[in-house]
Amino acid sequence: MDLVTVNGLSKRFGGIVALSEAAFSARAGEVHALLGENGAGKSTFIQILSGAVKHDGGSILVDGQDYRPANPDDAQARGIAAVFQELSLIPDLSVEQNIWFRHEPQTMLGTVNRTQTRRNTLALLEKYDFPTLRPEQELRRLTLAERQIVEIAKGLAKNPRILILDEATSALPAREAEWLLKLTRQLAAEGRLVIFISHRMAEVRAIADRLTIFRNGSTVAAHEANTVSDDEIVTRMIGRHLDRLYPERVPTMTQRIALKVANLTSGSRLSGVDFSLREGEVLGVGGLQGHGQRELFQALFGATKAGGMIELWGKPAAIGNPRQALTGKDGIALVPEDRRGQGLLLTKSVRENLTLSVIRRFTENGLLSRQKEAALVKEMVDFLRIRAGTPEQLAGTLSGGNQQKVIFGKMLLTEARVLLLYDPTRGVDVGTKGEIFQLMRDLAAKGYAILFHSSDMPELVHVADRVLVMRNGRIAAALEGEHISEEGILRAAMLETRAA
Amino acid sequence: MSAFLARNRLIVLAYAGMVVLLLVTAMFSPGFLSVSNMRSTVVLAAFVGIVALGQTFVIIGGGIDLSVPWVLNSAAIVMALLCGGQDLPLIWVMPLLLAGGAFIGLVNGVGVAQFGVPPIIMTLATNVILQGLILVLTGGSPTPSAPALIQFLSVGRIGGFPVVALIWLALTLAATLLLSKAAFGRHLYALGTSATVAEFSGVPTARTTILTYVVSGLTAALAGMLLTGYSGQAYLGMGDAYLFTSIAAVAIGGASILGGSGHYLGTVAGAMVLTILTGLLPALNLSSGALLVVYGAVILITVSIGSETFAGLGGRIRGRRA
Repeated sequence: MDLVTVNGLSKRFGGIVALSEAAFSARAGEVHALLGENGAGKSTFIQILSGAVKHDGGSILVDGQDYRPANPDDAQARGIAAVFQELSLIPDLSVEQNIWFRHEPQTMLGTVNRTQTRRNTLALLEKYDFPTLRPEQELRRLTLAERQIVEIAKGLAKNPRILILDEATSALPAREAEWLLKLTRQLAAEGRLVIFISHRMAEVRAIADRLTIFRNGSTVAAHEANTVSDDEIVTRMIGRHLDRLYPERVPTMTQRIALKVANLTSGSRLSGVDFSLREGEVLGVGGLQGHGQRELFQALFGATKAGGMIELWGKPAAIGNPRQALTGKDGIALVPEDRRGQGLLLTKSVRENLTLSVIRRFTENGLLSRQKEAALVKEMVDFLRIRAGTPEQLAGTLSGGNQQKVIFGKMLLTEARVLLLYDPTRGVDVGTKGEIFQLMRDLAAKGYAILFHSSDMPELVHVADRVLVMRNGRIAAALEGEHISEEGILRAAMLETRAA
Repeated sequence: MSAFLARNRLIVLAYAGMVVLLLVTAMFSPGFLSVSNMRSTVVLAAFVGIVALGQTFVIIGGGIDLSVPWVLNSAAIVMALLCGGQDLPLIWVMPLLLAGGAFIGLVNGVGVAQFGVPPIIMTLATNVILQGLILVLTGGSPTPSAPALIQFLSVGRIGGFPVVALIWLALTLAATLLLSKAAFGRHLYALGTSATVAEFSGVPTARTTILTYVVSGLTAALAGMLLTGYSGQAYLGMGDAYLFTSIAAVAIGGASILGGSGHYLGTVAGAMVLTILTGLLPALNLSSGALLVVYGAVILITVSIGSETFAGLGGRIRGRRA
C-alpha cells in the first residue's frame, strides 16, 4: 500500500493558483523524485505536506488516513520532516542545539540534559556517516554547505518516516553531495520514504526509484525512474522540447584584456591570484568549495578588502566598495551567491529592483522621471523575458529563475561590461538555466567579459571558454580546449590538496 | 496615484482613522470642529509632525533617533539664551542652531554608519550628553523669554493660516519630493529593506544613513525653536514628550518600525491622530494619565496591524516559491 496518496490537491495564494489537481503517490522504502520548473508548485506541495501551508481542496492520505496538518508540529507527529532550501537554523546556537531544537532530551528537573544531547548527537552523526561536524561549534561560524548538513541532521533527528529534501544538494560541494545521495539510499533501505527535489538530472538518475513531474501546479506524469529518458523528463517539465541545454560555444574572445588581476590577496582565503579575462570571453572558475572562489568574486566587487592589483580595460582600478565597482563604463558587476540575501529586495517591486543601481540616471534636476524609468524597465523585462504580471509585482513573489533574471537585469542596466556571475543557476529550473547560458554567450558576443563560477561542474565544462581551477586560495590550473573536463577540473582541484 | 494608494494601504488607513477620530471627537465635544479649534489642533500637530519628519527618514532607513528630545530642548534653550528676548540675533542664531542640530545628526549618523554603533545606543548617548551639557550651561535657572519674531513664526497667521502650519506644509512637500521623486528616496527604502542588498547594488549606504540622522537633527532643532515661540519661553524637559510622539506618529502613519516602508504623508496623519486624541480625552473627562494609556494602546494596535500585513506578505512570498 502507498504511504502517501494525494489526489486533486489545490492551493491558491490570492489570485495566484499555486496548485490545481496535483496528484502524488509514493511508497515506504523508496526515493521519490519530485521534478518541475521553478513555479511548478513543488515548493507549495511540500509546504503543505510539512504543515507550513494549508491546502484548499483535494485529499491527502498518509497510511490510508486523512492528513491535514495544522502546523509543522502536527506533521512531525505523523512522521513527516522537511529539509528546506531556506535554512531554519539559529546562528547563535551550537550545532547540536540546533539539531535538537525544541526536542532536547530532558533531565528529571525539566532542564536540558547535555550529556544525553551530546550522546544522541554523536550517535546520529555516526549512524549516517555525516561529514565532519563538531557538535559544540557555533552555527554562525559554519559555511552555507555545513549549515545545510546541520539542517539535514536536524530533519533526521526527528526520526521521520517521510523525509523531504528540497534541493538539499544545491548548496553542497561534490563530495558532500555524493554523501547525501548515498544517505537517501540508506534511508530508503531503512523503510523510509524520501521525497527528493533537485534540478540536477544526474542525481535524480542516480538515486530515484520513481519520479513525479509537476507543471503549472498540476501533475503531468509519474514514472518508474528507469522507464523514461532525460529528454522525455525535460520535455514533460517545460511542456516543450528543449533542443539543448548548453548553447553552442562560438569563440567571441578578442585580444583586448578586460580584467587583469595580479597577486590578489585577502586574509587567509586568497593568497596571490593572477589571471586575465578577455573581452568576449566566458572564463570559468572551479575547484572544490571553500578554496577562495567566493573571496575572489567578493574582492573583485569590493565587497571584501583585498590587496594586489586589479586592472579594468587596461587601467588600474581601486575598488573599495561595490558602489565604486559598479560605477562607470569601466565598472564590474556581480550576480551574487545569495540571491535573496544579497541580490534582491524581496518586498519591493521588480521595477524598483531593476533600477536600484542606476536610479540617478533617471533624474532630471534631481527629480525622477517615471516615464524614462518605465521605458527602460519594460525593455529589460522583455529582453530577459522576465515572467512577472506587471513590473509592480513584488520580487519576492517571483519564481527563483525569474528572480535571478531580475538580478541579471539590474546588473545589465549598469554600464559595467565585466560581469562576475557567482553560481547564477543555483536553484534555477532547467528551462531558465538554458536561457541564462544563452544570455551569457550572447553577452560575450557583444563584448562583455564574464567570470563565471558554478557549483555544478558540467556547467563549467560546457559553457566556459577556459576554466581556472582554484586550490588553497590560488589558481592551481588554467584549463583550455579539450583539457576542460570534469575529470581535469577535479584532478587540478584535488591533487595538491592532498599534498598540502 | 492609484498605484501609490494600492501600495500604501496603511497610509490610507491612517487618514481614515484620522477622519473617524475627528468625527468621534466632534460628537463628544461639539465645538471641536470649529475653525479656531482646528487651527490650534493643526498648530500642535505641526510640532509633532516636524520632529517626526526626521524620525520618519531615520526609521525608513532602518534606524531610530532617540536624541530628538534633547536636540529639540537644546536648540530651544540656547536660542533663548543667545537672543535674550531680542529679535535681531535670530538672523544668525537660527541658522547656527539648525547647523548645530545637523551636526548632532552627523555625529549620530557617523557613529551608526561608520563605526557600527547600534542606533539605539548611539542616539541615546547623544541625548543624555546634550541633556547634561544643557544642565551645566543653565545651572537649572530659567531662560529669558522667546523673541517676538519666533513667537510670530509659531502662533502668528498669514491670511488666516498659522505660520507654523505653512512651514509644516512646505516641509511636507519637500519630504514628499525627497521620498517619492528623488534618487535619495529609492536609496533610503532599499537601505531600510536590506542594507546588504543595498550595498551590493551600489547604493551609497553610509551617506544615506548619515543624511537621515542629519535631517532628524535639523527638524528637531527647528521644532525646538518654534516650540519656544509657542510657549513664550524655553524650559528644561520641553522635548521629552516628543520622543514618544515622533516615533508613534511614524508608526501610526504606516511605516514598518523595522525600516524599508512608510511615507511622510502617513506620518502627517499620525501626528494629527495623536493630537486629536489629546483633544478627545478631556472631552471624555479623562485625565492626562489616561491619555498616556490610550497613546500606548493606539501604538500597540496600529503597529500590530502593520506587522500582521507584513507577516501575511512574508507568507505569500514563501508560498509562491516553487
